[in-house]
Amino acid sequence: MIEIKNIYKSFEQKDVLKNISKVFNKGETNLIIGRSGSGKTVLLKSIVGLHEVDQGQILYDTRDFTSMSQKLRKKLRQEMGMVFQGGALFDSLTVEENVRFPLDMFSELSPLEKQKQVDFCLERVNIENSNTMYPSEISGGMKKRVAIARAIVLNPKYLFCDEPNSGLDPETSMVIDALIHSITVDLQITTIINTHDMNSVMEIGDNILFISEGEMCWEGNRTEILHSDNQKLQEFVFANKQYQKIRDDKINQ
Amino acid sequence: MNILNQTGKYFALLLRVFSRPERHSLYIRQTFNEIENLGVKSVGIVIVISIFMGGIMTLQVAYNMVNPLLPITLIGLGNRDSLILEFSSTIMALIMAGKIGSNITSEIGSMKVTEQIDSLEIMGVNSASYLILPKIIAVVLMFPLLYILSVFFGIIGGLIVGPAVGAISAADYISGIQYAFTPYYVTFSIIKSLVFGFLIASISAFFGYTVEGGAFDVGTASTRAVVNTNIMILVWDLILTQLLL
Repeated sequence: MIEIKNIYKSFEQKDVLKNISKVFNKGETNLIIGRSGSGKTVLLKSIVGLHEVDQGQILYDTRDFTSMSQKLRKKLRQEMGMVFQGGALFDSLTVEENVRFPLDMFSELSPLEKQKQVDFCLERVNIENSNTMYPSEISGGMKKRVAIARAIVLNPKYLFCDEPNSGLDPETSMVIDALIHSITVDLQITTIINTHDMNSVMEIGDNILFISEGEMCWEGNRTEILHSDNQKLQEFVFANKQYQKIRDDKINQ
Repeated sequence: MNILNQTGKYFALLLRVFSRPERHSLYIRQTFNEIENLGVKSVGIVIVISIFMGGIMTLQVAYNMVNPLLPITLIGLGNRDSLILEFSSTIMALIMAGKIGSNITSEIGSMKVTEQIDSLEIMGVNSASYLILPKIIAVVLMFPLLYILSVFFGIIGGLIVGPAVGAISAADYISGIQYAFTPYYVTFSIIKSLVFGFLIASISAFFGYTVEGGAFDVGTASTRAVVNTNIMILVWDLILTQLLL
């Protein structure tokens, strides 16, 4: 479980996050949603410590990340996995080497055991026969899956995904969503996904935080989101005509 | 103020670079990769430049030796000392700042803008140390070797060009390069090449590591890295010459 309490963050006098609090549960896909520029990437990067918050607390299973020493943070980070928007795979390493990298860096496993773990993770994300390929030789969807495999190779307790579906076609997006959801449930990890993809929200949104202009506007789950009377949320969710139709149909019924 | 700010950030980055590595074996492997990538792959260009440099130096000294009282062997001596003291260390460093320096800045800068560095940090890896330390070690180790190679091929260049154009006979040239040799000049230039190697790797890495934005900004950072490295090479050349000669 990750809990954030009264988070504030500003860049050069501009307040980007204002008093955000939320509990992200274990074994659930927790979503941070909002328009582009609403502050969701800053919030996610603040949670993982890539940005330092100005005020507030971030608790990883009661461990206070904000007041932790760099040494302890480094240790805690070995319990984290993150999938970046572009995959952020290392260009100079092959698919297999990318996934093995965290094991080489931090685990004491034998080479054989490492190979088994790499194979298991690649199989888990349905990557076959691409072990020796470089990131530049694989598709965007595959890059995301390799990034997920790398993120879970050390059996993390916390998984973070920044816009995992950006740049992907709807079908591949659904595959990625299903994959992240099943990993979250099977491994009982705390997953936080940053997205503005409404299909993801409706597919896997167990616990949703909606932020607008750096402020927390609404929280709930995927069934509650369609019935909310929050004006800003309505504008965000029903910007898509498909969802407007779903809402109108429901009203007509 | 900006210069002070940048200098402070540079030294703060160096502190992170020289911290204890997470896994020595990975760092050693990475260092060997960098030795090959930054050092061994520069051997060809160093040889070509040095041969031409030595040849041209020999011709220019020969054309300026108008006084019949001066022994012709001075052409070889002039070429040798110019190469040992300045050309194979400083001029070669300025050229290598363009080749190796821009390579380092663009590689690290690209990793920064594509979030690969953030990815390392999230894993708990000291990205500054993992990416920069092997490059610094590799360049500092390889630079004295490239310097020696440059001196050798520069002298060979003179030996090829001088007799070929009739400026000096091979025997006179060889006699000249053996005349009044001061071994300390080599020691002095090896010290210079160690310092220049460190400057090239660390300044270029700094500009790559601190880049913000996209591909355009990586290009701009590469240019700034080369310009700043060149200036620092010349400043340190002056300081070391005053201190050590």
